[in-house]
Amino acid sequence: MIKKRLVGVVTVRGGWAVQSFGYGRYLPLGRPEVLVQNLDRWGADEIMLQCIDRSGGDIGPDFDLLDRVARLGIATPLIYSGGIRNANDARASVNIGADRVCVDALLHDNPDAVAQMGYLLGAQAVIAALPLSVVDGAVLWRDYRIGRDAPLSPEVIALLNEGAVSEALLIDHAHEGHPGAFDPAILDCGLADNVPLIAFGGISDTQAMKGLLKRDAIVAIAVGNFLSYREHAVQAYKEALFDVPVRPAHYNRTVYS
Amino acid sequence: MKRRTIGIVDYGVGNQASVWRALHRLGYRCRVSSDPAKLDETDILVLPGVGSFPAAMEQLHAHDLVDYLRQSARGGKPFVGLCLGMQLLAEKSREHGLTAGLGLIPGEVVPFPGGGWHIGWNAIEHVGDDPLFAQCDGMAMYFNHSFIFDAPQEYRVYAARTDTRFPVGVRRGNLVGMQFHPEKSQDAGQALLRTLVEGLCP
Repeated sequence: MIKKRLVGVVTVRGGWAVQSFGYGRYLPLGRPEVLVQNLDRWGADEIMLQCIDRSGGDIGPDFDLLDRVARLGIATPLIYSGGIRNANDARASVNIGADRVCVDALLHDNPDAVAQMGYLLGAQAVIAALPLSVVDGAVLWRDYRIGRDAPLSPEVIALLNEGAVSEALLIDHAHEGHPGAFDPAILDCGLADNVPLIAFGGISDTQAMKGLLKRDAIVAIAVGNFLSYREHAVQAYKEALFDVPVRPAHYNRTVYS
Repeated sequence: MKRRTIGIVDYGVGNQASVWRALHRLGYRCRVSSDPAKLDETDILVLPGVGSFPAAMEQLHAHDLVDYLRQSARGGKPFVGLCLGMQLLAEKSREHGLTAGLGLIPGEVVPFPGGGWHIGWNAIEHVGDDPLFAQCDGMAMYFNHSFIFDAPQEYRVYAARTDTRFPVGVRRGNLVGMQFHPEKSQDAGQALLRTLVEGLCP
């Protein structure tokens, strides 16, 4: 049976891997390549490399970083996120070494381009990132570039409900980086029940992970900061998640050239 | 032992860099090219792929590779299709309408049973009695697709399960297709890639 996934997230700002707190405070961690190698060696199910300052500056994807990461020869599926402006950027990311791409700002600016990306790469290669929060009982979608919250647009809901992209990464942006703070209320954001969801932001303890992974709609959880606080964090989480359908902890020997 | 040279077909829509790195890491010489003369100098062809079937066939035609790949396959050259590259071996696909494939293995590419996607790690089950594929029976591989190659039973070598059982590996003589991504399936994928290269090359 298909397993639910633990996605390791490496957040990059100004070329450096950072811990991110609530989309507003950042602490340096080091070279992104080192964190990616750790997650690969620890057996993450997927690795997401997200460059959070590319769309705000309209400078496009960080192909140099993606190339450096790809050259490591990692054997774990790689999701690239950051600055993707169109289908050509997405295709170039895959050609360099990404297996999938994730878009956020483009969903605000040009949903048609996201649909085109799904046609070119296959919808399975495209993920929609949706930073969300609950305000006065309503789930609102943030444009992080300008700090504005609004309901999910009908175009984005249609993209996901009709399968033009494969999965929605629902980010609890207000609680991101804060242990045990993920708000499950953001999962009720108006998408159809059959849209596969990845939960992200403040998911740190295994009880919360189990609760999320036991929901039918959730196919994966993404973890960022909390994988950086100890060695073999992926295996440690997986060993604790023995009663939910995730791939068992995997220990391997990796020799990088 | 002879050091094998692998020809990775570059037609613009594949994840050829990831495939190159995985095979290079196993110690093989690799050539990524769309030039038939360069691909002819290799021991085995690998056709990677990420994308939609029509876009990929369009690119194969644009790179003038369709006839070359058919001739190479029919001439007995070992040939492995990965993910979309496996689907391209089929006669036709129903993704975004009906599109003719390379037509090297009977069968057609149809939507994933029940619709939706098959994304993530799943175990592969050996089907039939071809010993080449027995070694990796039960290993978990990384999948990322929404269509499957519905090949006749006699060509199936691996299956996987969700609510139903469906083919994820095919073989017809020198031709092999894998629906998953061994290049991104960690140790299990490396083991399978080595098995395929060593098992298919004379």
